[in-house]
Amino acid sequence: MITFGEGNLRIPQWSRRVFMVAGGCSPFRKYFPEYKLEELVMMGYKMMLEENDLKMSPKEIKDSIQYAAYGEFADHFQDQLLCEAKIHDYLGLDPLWNTGIKTGGATGGATVLNAAMAVASGYADCVLACGWERMDEVDTRTGNFYISTAACKDFETRMGRIYSSYYAPMANRFSESYNLSEVTRAKIAVKNRGYAVSNPNAQQPGRHTVEEVLASPMSAYPLRFLECCAMTAGSASALICNEEMAYKLSDHPCELFIAGGTHTLRVADRRHMEIPLLPNETPGMYDELLKESGRWPGFESFLAARFASYLAYRMAGVKDPLEELDFVELHDAFTISDIQTYGDIGLRPYGQEADYVESGDCYFTNPNTGEPGKCPANLSGGLLGTMHAVGATGIWQAVESLWQIQGKWDYFHGDQKWWDRAGKEKPADYENLQLPDAKQGLWISHAGVGSHVTCGILRKAW
Amino acid sequence: MAQPYEGPLTTEYIGEPLDLFDDQKAWVVRWPRALEHHHTYGLLTPFFKGLTEGKLLATKCTNPECTENSTWLPPRADCPDCYARTEWVEVPAEGKIYAYTMLGYTGIGIEMKAPYWQIDVEIEGVDTIFKGYLLHGKPYTGMPVKAQFRTENPSHTILDICWVPVED
Repeated sequence: MITFGEGNLRIPQWSRRVFMVAGGCSPFRKYFPEYKLEELVMMGYKMMLEENDLKMSPKEIKDSIQYAAYGEFADHFQDQLLCEAKIHDYLGLDPLWNTGIKTGGATGGATVLNAAMAVASGYADCVLACGWERMDEVDTRTGNFYISTAACKDFETRMGRIYSSYYAPMANRFSESYNLSEVTRAKIAVKNRGYAVSNPNAQQPGRHTVEEVLASPMSAYPLRFLECCAMTAGSASALICNEEMAYKLSDHPCELFIAGGTHTLRVADRRHMEIPLLPNETPGMYDELLKESGRWPGFESFLAARFASYLAYRMAGVKDPLEELDFVELHDAFTISDIQTYGDIGLRPYGQEADYVESGDCYFTNPNTGEPGKCPANLSGGLLGTMHAVGATGIWQAVESLWQIQGKWDYFHGDQKWWDRAGKEKPADYENLQLPDAKQGLWISHAGVGSHVTCGILRKAW
Repeated sequence: MAQPYEGPLTTEYIGEPLDLFDDQKAWVVRWPRALEHHHTYGLLTPFFKGLTEGKLLATKCTNPECTENSTWLPPRADCPDCYARTEWVEVPAEGKIYAYTMLGYTGIGIEMKAPYWQIDVEIEGVDTIFKGYLLHGKPYTGMPVKAQFRTENPSHTILDICWVPVED
């Protein structure tokens, strides 16, 4: 059992306020031989400098940066140690200090957290948070093996050599404990891949049906191929600033809060423990649930996601997530991990996660009522529909969240220039998924089988 | 006065030219790899040796000052709660299935023929849940299983233990 010391539960507090002002990304594809990695990174970085209505020229912004945090999941994929140095040089940022960040699937979120720490501490006023992954140098099965080395090499990797096989037991366990049907899981894939149709950068957009998802080939039972994200090549960049710099650069900055949590790499090693409660939860509310499931987090939930949101909500003063968040971007690498997270971050109490989908709250338009969804999830298309270029993912989710709050969703997804850049036809059924008055959004960046999770909150600050 | 260094006067290319895929916008080259690591099991060596002798060994923290005194499987040499060195204990080679999946598709190098069942086993007295694979049968949550060990021709990996239904 993990018992917390009083000191362990201190709520993070920035020494000064932190803001996000701009973002950019490359298109995302399975296979991207036209460009070298550094060229893909430059594409997203330049988009960040040039396309975010900043009040300084790209050269002036470059001259204002003091630090860079770089996210990359796996040296295996890049086949290049110290890739950060190559990228940093390519972006012309030497001799400014940079740090390479590696926390598996949560690398992007951890990179934003590191950039925010640099601003909050006063080390820097203007920081680049940038991430990438190029997973196309190896064939898919070799890629599956590389990713599975992010399970324990002594006790787990040999059991599957594919990451879906470490989530699939959780899916079976969750379905039995909390009465989750495969149809609810499939609805997540339908929704997110459907939203990806309106994202010019999306790798796997598609108007699927629940039946198609359930008829797709089995990866690891019960997870089907259409319930799993794919490997991606691409990059994302974000600009993180202190208050003065944020308003000097932008009339529409967002204030940033972000915190992280961790848990064992091997799910095996999760011992039973007390549930840390969110601000909207009350002592005793899970007594019955624990009597049935026997242990928490068990295979049903993620301590890392719970702990990250436990800290982030208190840091940002969020009391009731479902009421106070206008949207979320979750780490839907697998349908099941998306659903598991609803309980961890308090969109529903534990045990009632499926209701977030079935109620229609997670949709842009609630399919039950035809009214706007209460707290739409993954309007970007998510990992299932748009991308999982791992080191970039948590940064890209933050960028999509920023654009949603800034009211720029339609520009960054609908403008013809982005479809041209991606070399795609803008589809006739493109939907503008801009929320009318989004003030606050949350994104989750998630690694391992819940080994590292960051919970970031962006809030309109103008 | 130091003698000038007499280096070679010519450099010979002894590499293998890379295959080229030049049917795309950019040149792509085939860049093969062959790697070998010498990986140690360190202080967990008794566990892996135990599998080849038909024993399932866990570690337990026996420090009277420790608040948890957990029993670990996978084992670990150091207690994460109090940092004491743990002790080896033999645990029952039987348990119940806590969770399971069937692998239909696997990454390269897999040593079992897909499809096969991967299972997570709860063992009495062990605080963790131990991952393994089912040799035969169809798993369900709560299914009693017992361990089998690859004592003949061991793989010297975690695959030297697997599970079968208790009814056998």
